[in-house]
Amino acid sequence: MYKLMLMSAILLLGACARVDYVQLGDIDQSQGQLTPISVKVSQFAIEMAAVAEVGRHVATNSAARSQSQEIRDLLALINMGPRTGNPVFDDTYAENILDQLYQQCPSGNITGIRNIREAKTYGPVSGEIVRIDAFCIQSGN
Amino acid sequence: MSRLIFTFIALFSLAGCVNLNSVSLTQIPDDRSNLISAEAHDWLFLGLTSNNDFVDEAIDNLKSKCEGGKLQGILTKHQTTAYLLVFKREVIASGYCHKA
Repeated sequence: MYKLMLMSAILLLGACARVDYVQLGDIDQSQGQLTPISVKVSQFAIEMAAVAEVGRHVATNSAARSQSQEIRDLLALINMGPRTGNPVFDDTYAENILDQLYQQCPSGNITGIRNIREAKTYGPVSGEIVRIDAFCIQSGN
Repeated sequence: MSRLIFTFIALFSLAGCVNLNSVSLTQIPDDRSNLISAEAHDWLFLGLTSNNDFVDEAIDNLKSKCEGGKLQGILTKHQTTAYLLVFKREVIASGYCHKA
């Protein structure tokens, strides 16, 4: 029980930020005043193998421990290969990001688009974030 | 013995291994006379941090170097240098500033 509480505390308190990818676009400051706009979408993700590993440590009897280890190995094999962050359950979560960006800048005069792929991780659980920052050109200034 | 330990610590501390996480480049302009660059970084102990604000700093730094102009041909590098227990995360950006 103590182990479980300790692990939960570490997972909840030990939030960590990660950056995977940064891309800067051209910035036009000659057309007028720039107003920052930003769109951020996030998807819940989980490293199942790590969860099984936690289960193995928490398990009280050897049979359960062995079973957790087998599950962990199987999950690690299934998720093997190159990837960015933890696997997510919905791979379309960033598809409407352009529409959301235009909603914040109805004139459509957008410059300085930055694509940032980042994440907030809490042990085996993470929020896989796609963030688009940009500047909306305020015409008439 | 203490000398040996000191040597090991010095070796590990100074020998940073760099990981290039991402690189991107935008359209390169005809006028390439004014190249400007900016960078921002943060230091992490054991890789632990709660924010990624250094990325925004790099953009602000680059933007401030071309007030009222057009920045094109932007090369962005995101890299991480690993020292002993300490990590340095960096965004290095350069581009061509054109002012009319």
